[in-house]
Amino acid sequence: MNALLGALQDSPLGELVRGAGVWSYGILNAVHVIGLAALFGAIVVLDLRLLGWRAARPLHEVAAGTVPIAAIGLAVAAVTGLAMLSSNARDYVRNPFLLVKFAALAVGLLNLLLLHRSRAWRAVRERRDASSGDRRRLAMGGALSLVAWIATIVAGRLMGYA
Amino acid sequence: MFRKILCAVLAAAAVLLAVPAFAHHGWAGNDDKEFELTGTVEQPVSLSGPHATMKIRAEGEVWDITLAPPPRTQAAGLKADSLPKGATVTVHGHRNKDPKRFEIKTERVTYEGKVFDVYPDRS
Repeated sequence: MNALLGALQDSPLGELVRGAGVWSYGILNAVHVIGLAALFGAIVVLDLRLLGWRAARPLHEVAAGTVPIAAIGLAVAAVTGLAMLSSNARDYVRNPFLLVKFAALAVGLLNLLLLHRSRAWRAVRERRDASSGDRRRLAMGGALSLVAWIATIVAGRLMGYA
Repeated sequence: MFRKILCAVLAAAAVLLAVPAFAHHGWAGNDDKEFELTGTVEQPVSLSGPHATMKIRAEGEVWDITLAPPPRTQAAGLKADSLPKGATVTVHGHRNKDPKRFEIKTERVTYEGKVFDVYPDRS
Protein backbone atom coordinates (compact mmCIF):
# COMPACT_ATOMS: atom_id res chain seq x y z
CA MET A 1 0.00 0.00 0.00
CA ASN A 2 2.72 2.44 1.02
CA ALA A 3 4.79 1.46 -2.00
CA LEU A 4 1.77 2.07 -4.21
CA LEU A 5 1.24 5.56 -2.76
CA GLY A 6 4.93 6.33 -3.18
CA ALA A 7 4.89 5.17 -6.79
CA LEU A 8 1.82 7.31 -7.45
CA GLN A 9 3.47 10.39 -5.96
CA ASP A 10 6.62 9.84 -8.04
CA SER A 11 4.63 9.19 -11.24
CA PRO A 12 4.61 11.68 -14.14
CA LEU A 13 1.02 12.54 -13.15
CA GLY A 14 2.19 13.57 -9.68
CA GLU A 15 4.96 15.72 -11.13
CA LEU A 16 2.53 17.29 -13.58
CA VAL A 17 0.09 18.29 -10.81
CA ARG A 18 2.84 19.61 -8.52
CA GLY A 19 4.27 21.68 -11.34
CA ALA A 20 0.93 23.14 -12.44
CA GLY A 21 0.87 26.17 -10.16
CA VAL A 22 -0.44 27.04 -6.72
CA TRP A 23 -4.11 26.91 -7.74
CA SER A 24 -3.93 23.46 -9.39
CA TYR A 25 -5.02 21.51 -6.31
CA GLY A 26 -7.96 23.82 -5.60
CA ILE A 27 -9.15 23.63 -9.20
CA LEU A 28 -8.83 19.82 -9.29
CA ASN A 29 -10.76 19.74 -6.04
CA ALA A 30 -13.57 21.86 -7.53
CA VAL A 31 -13.85 19.65 -10.63
CA HIS A 32 -13.81 16.57 -8.39
CA VAL A 33 -16.83 18.00 -6.53
CA ILE A 34 -18.65 18.62 -9.83
CA GLY A 35 -17.91 15.04 -10.92
CA LEU A 36 -19.15 13.47 -7.72
CA ALA A 37 -22.21 15.74 -7.68
CA ALA A 38 -23.13 14.45 -11.14
CA LEU A 39 -22.45 10.84 -10.09
CA PHE A 40 -24.28 10.96 -6.79
CA GLY A 41 -27.13 13.20 -7.96
CA ALA A 42 -27.93 10.85 -10.83
CA ILE A 43 -27.36 7.61 -8.95
CA VAL A 44 -29.67 8.61 -6.07
CA VAL A 45 -32.55 9.00 -8.53
CA LEU A 46 -31.89 5.55 -10.00
CA ASP A 47 -31.30 3.88 -6.63
CA LEU A 48 -34.55 5.22 -5.18
CA ARG A 49 -36.42 4.00 -8.25
CA LEU A 50 -34.76 0.58 -7.84
CA LEU A 51 -36.08 0.63 -4.27
CA GLY A 52 -39.57 1.18 -5.61
CA TRP A 53 -39.97 4.93 -5.28
CA ARG A 54 -42.21 6.41 -7.98
CA ALA A 55 -42.60 2.93 -9.43
CA ALA A 56 -45.03 4.19 -12.05
CA ARG A 57 -42.10 5.51 -14.06
CA PRO A 58 -40.67 2.75 -16.23
CA LEU A 59 -37.29 1.69 -14.86
CA HIS A 60 -35.63 1.59 -18.28
CA GLU A 61 -36.51 5.25 -18.79
CA VAL A 62 -35.17 6.27 -15.40
CA ALA A 63 -31.98 4.31 -16.15
CA ALA A 64 -31.60 5.93 -19.57
CA GLY A 65 -31.80 9.38 -17.98
CA THR A 66 -29.43 8.72 -15.09
CA VAL A 67 -26.80 6.09 -15.97
CA PRO A 68 -24.95 8.21 -18.59
CA ILE A 69 -24.73 11.20 -16.24
CA ALA A 70 -23.51 9.00 -13.40
CA ALA A 71 -20.92 7.36 -15.67
CA ILE A 72 -19.51 10.71 -16.83
CA GLY A 73 -19.50 11.98 -13.25
CA LEU A 74 -17.65 8.86 -12.12
CA ALA A 75 -15.03 9.31 -14.85
CA VAL A 76 -14.50 12.99 -13.99
CA ALA A 77 -14.26 12.22 -10.26
CA ALA A 78 -11.86 9.31 -10.86
CA VAL A 79 -9.45 11.31 -13.02
CA THR A 80 -9.39 14.40 -10.77
CA GLY A 81 -9.24 12.25 -7.64
CA LEU A 82 -6.26 10.30 -8.91
CA ALA A 83 -4.56 13.55 -9.91
CA MET A 84 -5.11 15.08 -6.46
CA LEU A 85 -3.92 11.95 -4.67
CA SER A 86 -0.80 11.75 -6.83
CA SER A 87 0.28 15.26 -5.84
CA ASN A 88 0.91 14.25 -2.21
CA ALA A 89 0.10 10.53 -1.98
CA ARG A 90 2.66 9.81 0.78
CA ASP A 91 0.76 12.12 3.15
CA TYR A 92 -2.00 9.49 3.23
CA VAL A 93 0.20 6.54 4.22
CA ARG A 94 -1.36 6.21 7.68
CA ASN A 95 -4.74 7.67 6.80
CA PRO A 96 -7.48 5.21 7.91
CA PHE A 97 -10.13 6.92 5.77
CA LEU A 98 -8.16 6.22 2.57
CA LEU A 99 -8.72 2.50 3.06
CA VAL A 100 -12.38 2.97 3.98
CA LYS A 101 -12.92 5.14 0.93
CA PHE A 102 -11.36 2.74 -1.56
CA ALA A 103 -13.08 -0.26 0.05
CA ALA A 104 -16.46 1.50 -0.23
CA LEU A 105 -15.64 2.52 -3.81
CA ALA A 106 -14.80 -1.11 -4.63
CA VAL A 107 -18.12 -2.25 -3.15
CA GLY A 108 -19.96 0.39 -5.21
CA LEU A 109 -18.27 -0.64 -8.45
CA LEU A 110 -18.66 -4.37 -7.79
CA ASN A 111 -22.33 -3.85 -6.97
CA LEU A 112 -22.86 -1.97 -10.20
CA LEU A 113 -21.04 -4.61 -12.21
CA LEU A 114 -23.04 -7.48 -10.66
CA LEU A 115 -26.32 -5.59 -11.00
CA HIS A 116 -25.70 -4.86 -14.67
CA ARG A 117 -24.97 -8.53 -15.32
CA SER A 118 -27.98 -9.80 -13.37
CA ARG A 119 -31.05 -11.41 -14.85
CA ALA A 120 -33.14 -8.67 -13.27
CA TRP A 121 -31.26 -5.94 -15.12
CA ARG A 122 -31.62 -7.83 -18.40
CA ALA A 123 -35.38 -7.71 -17.86
CA VAL A 124 -35.11 -3.93 -17.42
CA ARG A 125 -33.02 -3.55 -20.56
CA GLU A 126 -35.43 -5.65 -22.58
CA ARG A 127 -38.33 -3.68 -21.10
CA ARG A 128 -39.97 -6.79 -19.73
CA ASP A 129 -42.04 -6.77 -16.55
CA ALA A 130 -39.79 -7.61 -13.63
CA SER A 131 -40.79 -10.63 -11.56
CA SER A 132 -41.04 -10.19 -7.81
CA GLY A 133 -37.65 -11.93 -7.48
CA ASP A 134 -36.21 -9.46 -9.99
CA ARG A 135 -37.68 -6.54 -8.08
CA ARG A 136 -36.07 -7.78 -4.89
CA ARG A 137 -32.72 -8.11 -6.67
CA LEU A 138 -33.00 -4.57 -8.06
CA ALA A 139 -34.00 -3.13 -4.68
CA MET A 140 -30.99 -4.82 -3.07
CA GLY A 141 -28.69 -3.34 -5.69
CA GLY A 142 -30.18 0.13 -5.16
CA ALA A 143 -29.82 -0.04 -1.39
CA LEU A 144 -26.24 -1.27 -1.53
CA SER A 145 -25.42 1.42 -4.09
CA LEU A 146 -26.73 4.20 -1.82
CA VAL A 147 -24.77 2.90 1.16
CA ALA A 148 -21.56 2.40 -0.86
CA TRP A 149 -21.56 5.84 -2.52
CA ILE A 150 -22.47 7.68 0.67
CA ALA A 151 -19.68 5.84 2.49
CA THR A 152 -17.24 6.64 -0.35
CA ILE A 153 -18.04 10.36 -0.21
CA VAL A 154 -17.99 10.63 3.59
CA ALA A 155 -14.71 8.69 3.94
CA GLY A 156 -13.20 10.68 1.07
CA ARG A 157 -14.05 13.97 2.74
CA LEU A 158 -12.72 12.77 6.11
CA MET A 159 -9.38 11.85 4.51
CA GLY A 160 -8.59 15.55 4.54
CA TYR A 161 -9.09 15.86 8.27
CA ALA A 162 -7.34 12.80 9.66
CA MET B 1 -40.36 -3.26 1.24
CA PHE B 2 -39.37 0.18 -0.01
CA ARG B 3 -40.04 1.82 3.34
CA LYS B 4 -38.08 -0.78 5.28
CA ILE B 5 -35.01 -0.50 3.06
CA LEU B 6 -35.22 3.30 2.96
CA CYS B 7 -35.32 3.43 6.77
CA ALA B 8 -32.26 1.19 6.96
CA VAL B 9 -30.37 3.33 4.44
CA LEU B 10 -31.29 6.57 6.21
CA ALA B 11 -30.20 5.12 9.55
CA ALA B 12 -26.85 4.10 8.03
CA ALA B 13 -26.45 7.57 6.52
CA ALA B 14 -27.19 9.21 9.87
CA VAL B 15 -24.46 7.15 11.54
CA LEU B 16 -21.98 8.03 8.79
CA LEU B 17 -22.83 11.72 8.98
CA ALA B 18 -22.27 11.66 12.74
CA VAL B 19 -18.64 10.64 12.14
CA PRO B 20 -17.39 14.20 11.38
CA ALA B 21 -18.29 15.10 14.98
CA PHE B 22 -15.07 13.48 16.18
CA ALA B 23 -12.90 14.02 13.11
CA HIS B 24 -12.31 17.70 13.62
CA HIS B 25 -11.09 20.10 11.05
CA GLY B 26 -7.81 21.90 10.77
CA TRP B 27 -6.08 22.87 13.94
CA ALA B 28 -7.84 20.54 16.41
CA GLY B 29 -5.32 17.74 15.81
CA ASN B 30 -2.65 20.11 17.06
CA ASP B 31 -1.83 21.30 20.52
CA ASP B 32 -3.34 24.61 21.69
CA LYS B 33 0.02 25.81 23.05
CA GLU B 34 2.13 28.04 20.81
CA PHE B 35 5.24 26.13 19.75
CA GLU B 36 8.50 27.42 18.36
CA LEU B 37 11.34 25.44 16.85
CA THR B 38 14.61 26.39 15.18
CA GLY B 39 16.28 24.04 12.74
CA THR B 40 17.81 23.70 9.30
CA VAL B 41 15.86 23.27 6.08
CA GLU B 42 15.91 19.61 5.04
CA GLN B 43 13.46 19.94 2.16
CA PRO B 44 12.57 23.39 0.78
CA VAL B 45 9.02 24.70 0.47
CA SER B 46 6.70 22.76 -1.83
CA LEU B 47 3.73 24.79 -3.09
CA SER B 48 1.56 21.80 -4.05
CA GLY B 49 -1.14 19.67 -2.51
CA PRO B 50 -3.86 20.92 -0.14
CA HIS B 51 -1.23 22.66 2.02
CA ALA B 52 2.25 23.89 1.22
CA THR B 53 4.87 21.87 3.11
CA MET B 54 8.55 21.77 3.99
CA LYS B 55 10.80 19.69 6.23
CA ILE B 56 13.31 20.92 8.79
CA ARG B 57 15.86 19.08 10.88
CA ALA B 58 15.88 19.97 14.59
CA GLU B 59 16.60 18.16 17.85
CA GLY B 60 17.77 15.12 15.90
CA GLU B 61 14.44 14.67 14.10
CA VAL B 62 13.06 15.62 10.72
CA TRP B 63 9.92 17.69 11.24
CA ASP B 64 7.03 17.98 8.80
CA ILE B 65 6.15 21.66 8.52
CA THR B 66 2.59 22.17 7.33
CA LEU B 67 2.06 25.67 5.94
CA ALA B 68 -1.06 27.41 4.61
CA PRO B 69 -2.68 26.29 1.31
CA PRO B 70 -0.34 27.01 -1.64
CA PRO B 71 -1.89 30.29 -2.90
CA ARG B 72 -1.92 31.75 0.59
CA THR B 73 1.62 30.61 1.36
CA GLN B 74 2.84 32.18 -1.87
CA ALA B 75 0.97 35.40 -1.04
CA ALA B 76 2.89 35.51 2.26
CA GLY B 77 6.07 35.66 0.18
CA LEU B 78 7.19 32.04 0.57
CA LYS B 79 8.31 30.53 -2.74
CA ALA B 80 10.03 27.25 -3.54
CA ASP B 81 13.43 29.00 -3.48
CA SER B 82 12.86 31.36 -0.51
CA LEU B 83 14.41 28.99 2.04
CA PRO B 84 17.41 27.12 0.62
CA LYS B 85 18.36 23.69 1.90
CA GLY B 86 20.53 23.98 5.01
CA ALA B 87 19.26 27.46 5.93
CA THR B 88 18.54 28.05 9.61
CA VAL B 89 14.89 28.90 10.12
CA THR B 90 12.53 29.33 13.03
CA VAL B 91 8.98 28.10 12.72
CA HIS B 92 6.16 29.18 14.97
CA GLY B 93 2.85 27.35 15.23
CA HIS B 94 1.18 24.37 16.85
CA ARG B 95 2.72 20.97 17.29
CA ASN B 96 0.82 17.79 16.52
CA LYS B 97 -0.93 16.45 19.61
CA ASP B 98 0.63 13.03 19.07
CA PRO B 99 4.10 13.30 20.70
CA LYS B 100 5.39 10.57 18.35
CA ARG B 101 4.60 12.69 15.31
CA PHE B 102 7.03 15.48 14.50
CA GLU B 103 4.63 17.77 12.69
CA ILE B 104 3.90 21.46 13.14
CA LYS B 105 1.02 23.41 11.69
CA THR B 106 2.82 26.62 11.09
CA GLU B 107 1.66 30.22 11.40
CA ARG B 108 4.93 31.93 10.56
CA VAL B 109 8.48 31.18 9.48
CA THR B 110 11.46 33.44 10.24
CA TYR B 111 14.62 33.38 8.12
CA GLU B 112 17.45 35.95 8.31
CA GLY B 113 15.20 38.45 10.07
CA LYS B 114 12.47 38.08 7.43
CA VAL B 115 9.09 36.92 8.73
CA PHE B 116 6.79 34.93 6.46
CA ASP B 117 3.38 35.15 8.06
CA VAL B 118 1.27 32.49 6.33
CA TYR B 119 -1.63 32.87 8.80
CA PRO B 120 -1.46 36.58 9.71
CA ASP B 121 -4.87 36.56 11.39
CA ARG B 122 -3.94 33.67 13.69
CA SER B 123 -0.73 34.91 15.22
